[in-house]
Parts: sequence; C-alpha cells; structure tokens
Amino acid sequence: MEVWDAVWAGFAGATGWPAFGLMLMTIPIGLVIGMIPGLGGNLGLALLIPFTFGMDPTSGFAFLLGMHAVVHTGGSIPAILFDTPGTGPNAATCIEGFPMAQKGEAGRALGAALTSSMVGGVLGAIFMAMVIPIVRPMVLAFGPPEFFMLAMMGVAFISLMSGNSILKGLMAGGMGFIISFVGMDPQTGVVRFSFGVLNLMDGINIVTVVVGLFAVAEVIDMGLKKGGIAHGKSPNLKGSGVMQGVKDCFTNWWLLLRCSLIGQMIAMIPGLGGDAAAFICYGHALQTTKRKNEFGKGCVEGVIATDAAHNSKEGGGLIPTLAFGVPGSSGMAILLGAFLVLGVSPGKEMFSDHLDLVFSMVWVLVFANIIAVAICLPLAGSMAKITFLRTSVMIPFILSFGLLGSYLTTSRISDILITVLFGVIGYGMKKFDYARGPLILGIVLGKIAENALHVSLSLYGMSFVFRPIASVILLITLTTIFFPVYQAHAKKKKLMEAAK
Amino acid sequence: MQGNKEEIVTTKSRCSFFVVGVFLFLSFAATFDAAAAPADISFFKGKTVTYIVSTKTGGGYDTYARLVAKYMQKYLPGSKVIVKNVPGAGHIVGANTIYAAAPDGLTIGTFNTGLVYGQILGQEGIQFDLNKFSWIGKANSETRVVIVGAKTPYKTFKDLQDSKVPIKMPSSGVGSEDHNETLILAAALPVKFQPIPGYSGKEAEMAILRGEVPAVLGSYTGLYGLILAKEGRPVLQYGSENKIPGLENVPHINSMKLSPASRNMVNLVNAIDIIGRLTAAPPGMPAGRLEVLRDAYKKALTDPDLIKDAKKSSLDLDPAYGEEVQKLVAASINQPAENLKMLRDIIK
Repeated sequence: MEVWDAVWAGFAGATGWPAFGLMLMTIPIGLVIGMIPGLGGNLGLALLIPFTFGMDPTSGFAFLLGMHAVVHTGGSIPAILFDTPGTGPNAATCIEGFPMAQKGEAGRALGAALTSSMVGGVLGAIFMAMVIPIVRPMVLAFGPPEFFMLAMMGVAFISLMSGNSILKGLMAGGMGFIISFVGMDPQTGVVRFSFGVLNLMDGINIVTVVVGLFAVAEVIDMGLKKGGIAHGKSPNLKGSGVMQGVKDCFTNWWLLLRCSLIGQMIAMIPGLGGDAAAFICYGHALQTTKRKNEFGKGCVEGVIATDAAHNSKEGGGLIPTLAFGVPGSSGMAILLGAFLVLGVSPGKEMFSDHLDLVFSMVWVLVFANIIAVAICLPLAGSMAKITFLRTSVMIPFILSFGLLGSYLTTSRISDILITVLFGVIGYGMKKFDYARGPLILGIVLGKIAENALHVSLSLYGMSFVFRPIASVILLITLTTIFFPVYQAHAKKKKLMEAAK
Repeated sequence: MQGNKEEIVTTKSRCSFFVVGVFLFLSFAATFDAAAAPADISFFKGKTVTYIVSTKTGGGYDTYARLVAKYMQKYLPGSKVIVKNVPGAGHIVGANTIYAAAPDGLTIGTFNTGLVYGQILGQEGIQFDLNKFSWIGKANSETRVVIVGAKTPYKTFKDLQDSKVPIKMPSSGVGSEDHNETLILAAALPVKFQPIPGYSGKEAEMAILRGEVPAVLGSYTGLYGLILAKEGRPVLQYGSENKIPGLENVPHINSMKLSPASRNMVNLVNAIDIIGRLTAAPPGMPAGRLEVLRDAYKKALTDPDLIKDAKKSSLDLDPAYGEEVQKLVAASINQPAENLKMLRDIIK
C-alpha cells in the first residue's frame, strides 16, 4: 500500500507545476543534443545543472532527466539518415538503419526507431520501478568474471553477423579486437599500436570508426555509383512509411520487450556500458530472427532491437546511482553532482524516505520518452525525404556532417584522418563482402573482455570460470556456438541415411 | 681658478648627469610602466585569449576551465577568452600544446597535476618541463580519501596496516595517478596495498560494493556518493587539509608518525593533490604580461559571481595564485636525487 502511495505521490510530483513545465522545456534540448554528434547527454547535464540551483528535488530531476532520457532518441535520426550516429550507443542503429534508407525506407526506419525508443524508454522506467526491491543482489551479482563471460557471449554473435562467410566475419572481428587495444594498456602501462602518435594513446573512439566505416564508405560507394541514398527507389510505401515503422514495432512486440529488458539489465550493471547494450541487443535480434538473410541489408528488426536498448538503459542506469551512490555511466556521474546541489543523499534512504522522488523520476522517464516521440514522429516523414535527394547534393552533406561528428566527438583534428582511413577500409570491406558489424563489435567488446579477464584472473585465478553466473553464461555461449553445428551435423547424417 | 673651472665643469657635468639621470629614470619608469599593468592590460583589448583544456568537453576540468575563462574575460577588458579542448594521451597533448605556444599571453590552459609523476618517471610523449611553465594559479585543492567497504572488518586505517593479507585496491591502470598513489602510500605508510589494474571509472566503486576489494582510494568528490549512501567508511584523508563536513573524525595523513623519507613521499602526493584545477601559460612570458594574467585570474577567482556560479555547479574552490603555485610545483618536482630514485623504484 505504501508503495502505491509513493507511486501516486511520484505521479503528482512529476505532473505538478513547475516540474512538468521544466521537463517540457528540456525535452527538445535533449533531442537536439542527441542529433548533433559530439554533444552527448553528459554535456547537456553539465550545462543544465547550474540552473537547478534553488529548485526542489522533484523539479530539478524532471528538468535534468527530461533532457537526458531522450538524447538517444534524437541520436538515431542522423544514424538513419546520414549513417552518422549522434551518440556512441546509436552506432548500432547505423548497421540496419542506413541500409533501410538506401532501400527507400528511411521513413519506416525512423518510425520504427522512434517508436521502439519510446517503448524501450517507458519499459525501462517500469522495469526500474519493479526491480527496486531486489536491486542489491541483482546488481552485485555481476562482477568482472561475469563481464568477461558476457563479452564472450557478444563475441559469439560475430558468427551471426558475418553474413556469407564466417571466416571473413572472424577476421573482421579480430581486427576490431586489435583496434580496441590501441592506446595505453592498463595492465602494463605500455602504449600499444600507437606508432608513436600521441593522439592514439587514448585509443580510438567508436564514433570515429563508425562514421568512417559506414558514412564515409557509403559516400565513396555513392560517388562511384551515382543516384541518391535511396537511388532509383520511389517512396514505395504508402505515405512516408513512418506509420509502417510504427506498426513494425507492434508486430515485433516480443523482440521489443526482450531488448528493452536486456538494455535495462546491462545498464543496471556499471561496467559494460551503453555501446555494448545496443550491440548485444542487435546480436540477440540476429540470433532469434527468422529473417537472418535480410540482416545487414536493412532489416527493421535490427533497428527495433538497438533503439529499444539504448533508451531503456536510461532507467537502468539510474538504479546504481540511486541505490549505492555509484553512477552507472559518466552521465549519471554528473547527475550525482546534482544530488548534492538539490540536497538529496543517494543510498538506502532513497528507497525508504524518498520513494516518492524515485517514482517521480520513473514518471519523468515515461513522460519524456512519450513526448519526445510525439514531437519527432510528425516530422519523420519530412526528414525521410532528404534521402531521395540527388547524390551530388547529398555527398557533401553526409561527408561534412560525418566528419564534423567525428571531430566533435573527440575534439581531435587527427581523428578526421582516422575516420577517412576507416572510410577506405569500410569501402574495401563492402566491396569484398566483409561484414562490417563484427569489426565494430570487436572494438566495443575488446577492451571490456581484456580488462575483465585480467581483473578476474588477479582476483580469483582460473577458478573465476566456475563462479555460478559466469559458468551459466559460458554454457549459454557454448550452446549458441555448438548447437547449430550439431544441428547441421544431424541434418547431414539424416540425409545420408535417407540416401542410403 | 683652475679649481674653480674644474668645479664648474664638475658642476656642469653633475648637472648634465642629473639631467641624463632624470631622463633615464623617466624613460626607465616609462618602460617599466609599459610593462606594468595599465599599459599591458590594453594589449588584450580586441585580442582573443585561447584557454586550452586537456580533456574533452563535459568533464570536471572542462567545467572549471569554462568558469575561469568566463571570469578572466571580465578582468581582461575588451578581450575574448575562448575555451579550446585539446584532449589526448592523458592530458599530455594539451600540456605539450600549451608549453609550445607563443608566450604572448594569448594562450593559457589547464591539465592534470598528476603529470608531475609522468615528468619524474620520464613518461613517453612528454615535451614539457613543469618547472618552466608560467604558473597563473589554481582553483581548488583536492581532498583524497581511503575508503573501506561498509561490510569489511576494518574500522580504522591502523586495521588496514595490521592486515596480514595484502589489501587489494582497484586501480585504473599502471601509470595512472591512482595506481601511483596506491604504490607510494603502500611504501611510505607502510600498508600492504596491492593495486589491481583494469578498473576504469566507476568500476572501482562497484568493486567495493561487490566486496571484491576491501578498500579504494580517490578524490573525495569522486567517492562521496559511496560515503553518503553509507556503503563505504572513510578511514584516512590526504591531500588538502581543508575541513570537509563529514570527515571531521577521519585522521589526516599529516598527523601520522612517519620516517623522514616516508614523509617526503607523502609530501609529494599531497602537493600534487593540492595543486588542483591549475591554470598555466607557456614558459618565457614577459613579466608584465604574466602579471596582468595573474592579476585577472586572482580577480576572477575572488569575484562573488564566480563563487556563486561554482556553488551552483557544486564545484569546490580553494584558490592560490602566481608565485605561490610556482613554488608548490617546484617543490614537488625538484626533489633530492635519492627521493627521485626511491620514487622510481616504487612506481616502476
């Protein structure tokens, strides 16, 4: 009963004045910040926090979370239209989103991305409210050994993402791992693969690579081919296709639900990060889909999976921040600063004395996600039309947007060169039929896997493999690898017997 | 007569000496004047000062820098102070850039004081000498803490020192500031700290919660979440000696009994933490212009509006200026050879 009181108190808080008005004010800011590469939620929070001075906690958090909840919703739009992710986690949206635009389905992709962002965000908030009673054991069950196993599970997805040739996929994935090792090695303090270039000491940013591998590579391809992004395709779907995308989300509701849950779970455990959440969901979609051969060529399921993940993780990311005072992401670390400004202490009291405040945050996440999509959906149709422009108009636009995004993300001019280099590599991969997904996955997981392995070994030695959750994840991974092999073998045997 | 003439000559020459002297004095004064505030502050009129931040946008260094830049502009009338982010190689690229800039007062900037370790150890890529920077000031002193998990049996720092088993400590990586501090404190106090590299960012705090490691060290502002949530107990503070509410009963490292050699090590750690959020300019800057910048910095940091803005963003302030910072830096780097050798042996 007490909980329900808090739920309603939270609702009243979130819809009250001035909290609701403040949230409405910051939602468009969040969307725009998300759309412009390099301006992430962190910067948004840093800019907004001074304004919360003097606000009551409910209004303050409505003001901040309204912006932060919808950043990735905005970030998917350039990912689909220009193959340039607005934020790191949106990188995964590029894989299916842009090929859809190329097929003339930009509207559908936008509709699906926006709707799944919204549903993911809302479900993430609801899951967050539901796990409050069991948050402690759940979050603390995952340590470095489990991270390592989760990363290995992600690596197993490489085989699914490889397209026609598993060998080529593994080569790309291995390349991704090597790229993730560029920079300072925490275990030895030695700089690896930097060739003496100081700017490589910090490693290579994922957005830098994705913009090159996808946007620049597509520009090269388009330049050589002529035509628009959606070359030769008239908008064949009724209207702009936006509604079709919305419908897709509901026909794939089960996938949407699972990916929202996975995204939220991953975000709850600081250490894997939002980039990994979106990619693991993409892999999960691939693993369970019935239309495997459409993936990589613009499959709406891929867009739904990734976008549900990156918005649902905002709810999950709040949990460790509220429960332990340990922020789940760098954005949450800045949010923790806001606790001090607003005079609230995180920790157990959050869930006893301030439960209504927690629920007001849940409601803000729900409202912000719905309102953001209500703003974007009517505009999606017009935005999609941009993809039907002539190549000669589009190329300079995509190229400058992508390179600017690459520069703004790291503020390093040298990263533009890296982006261009990856553009050439990406074009080569496309031309010679190497899937680009595994390379990105390798970069995202490489560093996590390496660090988690080292830490696990120094904490537990080889016995880390036998920790209960770690061994369960390992079993699942092994099953996903060997079950198809066994299946193929059994099928062959059956055929042989039938032939006899 | 002779004498008289001589006297006249002498008087004449005295006169001319006097005139020349006055003239020289005046011209000197004029030159001096040109080098002093009024004339040189006009140099900044219509000029753009670039404030280099050695990290990307959004973090603590960036926030402090934008605050300082905004108010320095106020005290350099007619100028425009813009912030430029030059991240790379853990602040080294930014520091190199500031060091190599023309010392005309139009390029200043900030970087992590932890680079002192890098310079002492001769880290790859460092193209600067911290001794030679023209130091303008620093905005904060960092209080650092050692925190033990709430469920661990350790109540005091003494308990940690008495531990028979090594105390595993999360560290972000070999060569990082927290890693170096862990090793130095382990050797100096002494305590059996064993750094476990590979914990990036907030992972270290999660390690405490999960009970993988019994203790963690870091800045108070980074760890106060754990303390507020009662998930960790602070058992030792070091760095700044400023009183922080909630840490009244936590002993400071300066009150521990240590051998002179250990005290030297601890002083180095403290010094690096005290010079927080620094502002520096390239070496070889004309004295007058440096004076103007130092003056503007001091006025900025004491501006009530800046103090109000800092409070709004929960940024702590504990400023120090010009010469004082220069001395602090010099004291931390210019250690006797045997100290340096000991340091290198510990950190290596």
